[in-house]
Amino acid sequence: MAPFTQTDQVNRLNTTAHLLQLYTMAETPASLAAVQVEALVVMKIIKHCSQTFPTTATGALVGMDVDGTLEITNTFPFPVVEVPAESHFDNAAPNPAAAAPRAKANAAYSGEMIRMLREVNTDANNVGWYTSANMGNFVNMNVIENQFYYQSQLNERTVALVHDVSRSAQGSLSLRAFRLSSKFMAGFKENKFTSEDLQKSSMRHQDIFDELPVKIHNSHLITSFIHQLQCPTTSASTELPPSLAALESSPFNKTSALAPNLENMSLSIDPFLEKNCDLLLDSIETHNTEVNNYQYYQRVLGREQQKINNWKTKRAQENATRATLNQPLLPEDEWQRLFKLPAEPSRLESMLNTRQVDQYARQVDSFVSSSTGKMFAIKGNLLPNEVSK
Amino acid sequence: MDSFLHLARPLGPVSVGTAPTTAPLNVVIQPQAIFSVLDHSLRRNADQERVIGTLLGTRSEDGSEVEVRSAFAVGHSEAEDQVEVDMEYHKQMLALHLKANPREVLVGWYATASELNTFSALIQNFYSGQGDGTWPHPAVHLTVSTQPGKDLETRAYISAPVGVTAERAADSAAFIPVPYELRYGEADKSGLESIANAKDAEERSATITSDIESLERAVEEVLSMIDRVSRYVESVIDEETPASTAMGQFLLNALALAPKVEPADIERDFNNHIQDVLVVSYLANTVRTQMELSTRLATAQLTLGGGEGAATGEKGNQRGKGNQNRRQDREEARA
Repeated sequence: MAPFTQTDQVNRLNTTAHLLQLYTMAETPASLAAVQVEALVVMKIIKHCSQTFPTTATGALVGMDVDGTLEITNTFPFPVVEVPAESHFDNAAPNPAAAAPRAKANAAYSGEMIRMLREVNTDANNVGWYTSANMGNFVNMNVIENQFYYQSQLNERTVALVHDVSRSAQGSLSLRAFRLSSKFMAGFKENKFTSEDLQKSSMRHQDIFDELPVKIHNSHLITSFIHQLQCPTTSASTELPPSLAALESSPFNKTSALAPNLENMSLSIDPFLEKNCDLLLDSIETHNTEVNNYQYYQRVLGREQQKINNWKTKRAQENATRATLNQPLLPEDEWQRLFKLPAEPSRLESMLNTRQVDQYARQVDSFVSSSTGKMFAIKGNLLPNEVSK
Repeated sequence: MDSFLHLARPLGPVSVGTAPTTAPLNVVIQPQAIFSVLDHSLRRNADQERVIGTLLGTRSEDGSEVEVRSAFAVGHSEAEDQVEVDMEYHKQMLALHLKANPREVLVGWYATASELNTFSALIQNFYSGQGDGTWPHPAVHLTVSTQPGKDLETRAYISAPVGVTAERAADSAAFIPVPYELRYGEADKSGLESIANAKDAEERSATITSDIESLERAVEEVLSMIDRVSRYVESVIDEETPASTAMGQFLLNALALAPKVEPADIERDFNNHIQDVLVVSYLANTVRTQMELSTRLATAQLTLGGGEGAATGEKGNQRGKGNQNRRQDREEARA
């Protein structure tokens, strides 16, 4: 009888364990898969970012998390407050706005604002923050620390929206959503960025961010509003203009809200390439500094190790002579007290830098792909014979 | 567009001496303000006919132009014979808003129904009043009708006081329609375009397009416009549609914009242009590869060649090479 009950119990235990597992699985929903941004949010972010351009602008996002899709339904900008650099990285806060999302004053501000928004039926959950960027230069310590603060302190399911003002000026809106990967979160928490740790966790620069797809969503009213805006350009027949002056001053000749946006047909490449080269050079500079730091560390480490080895051999010799003279031996591990190995510099900065360069390179690629297309088209049009040959 | 004729009317007895101006006023509305209003309208309580809120923006120096830049909702309730507006909320929200946007000021208020009634007058008098209001500038009242099945109708008003006695004047106002214009900046254009992409989609959402996709769309759009124009020109030639000299002139002007350049010049410019682009792309990718390589070599477990010494030696070597290459890159890029 006894063994029977035992197996029975084990079985029951198993099922409870199983149930528990199921339960916890249901408790922690699937990680965020996509971000859906309301038109209102897009416009507000654009307004705030372009107003303060080229300084960084930041603000909070509110919304709701629906089955793995983060719906961002409203936003408000953060006030710019002078904050002391409380970051543990030296050069992290040269710009107060960039550090705003994690500043204490702003936590109170956004708490207050969200409370107010709740009263008028807005979705009152803090779901992240946004920042402006200039040519994709957003991979820096500030963004990392802000997002880390959001994901660790406030709510795990938060995103950072990055709006690139200068790229949007070229024609197509650039709005991207990022989260720190769980791997990076774990590493950043314990500041594990020495080469040994990185070898162990095999974390690479691609693993810093998870990018989420961004979708723009319109309410019915906005859809209807936009249809109305567009009416003049699609209307079927109109009166013929009486004179050239009348035509030039007519509403059709004005750039109405949604007239075709031909910004991205522009052929000018110089400002873009120049800016990109500048940024790349900056990154190379950073990279060199990092490499030099590391080499310095290696030299110092080598020297120290040399000293330790010398000391060890000396001590061994001494002990050998003492052994022959039948004297008590001296301890051999004293070197740990006498010498101090230098601390390895964190590789985080160079990792971020690599990620940043990656970003620039992709950006240039995407620009090149469209501009070469444009250029061949122009050539084909201006020199029709050349191409047909 | 409606036409406007502005008539200055004699001011009511109350404000003589401290006369608020009723001079002509131009209202400029930025799209995000309208979007906020529409969003609020969607979030109203089920039993509410209309909702109201505060408009913020900037005013030109002489006060003749008001630019509405943003808006926030204010709770209110209307009954048969009384209206309650959450003034405390309005004040707090205004203070919070001004903290983040110090340059914007209170310019007026909005309601999401076209109707103007006694309550509108009351609220208008509050917003245009002294102290918390916009006084001595007129407060702008914006109505956005959000009736289902009908076009959205936006109207802007300012008010003049009416009423024979002070008590009567407190709850009445003559609303004067003023012209308004929807204006958006260069930066808003790309955003609006992305938003407009979703307008015909069933689920009312759109993904953000890449550079090349939006270029494709722009090209298609231009092609369709050219088609439309050539169809028109053809039908004029076939004498199916009446000709218009103005249109002809306009098209001729547009065609004259095409540059006249020598084929050799084009060839040269084209080659320079494309070389620049490709070199930068090449360099960018080289830099990326070099950096990645250097980071990988520094952090990867090197087991080649056996001993520790060999591994570090190799590492140093590689990095030295990388540095050299990078320096070359940089010089090229500078040149």
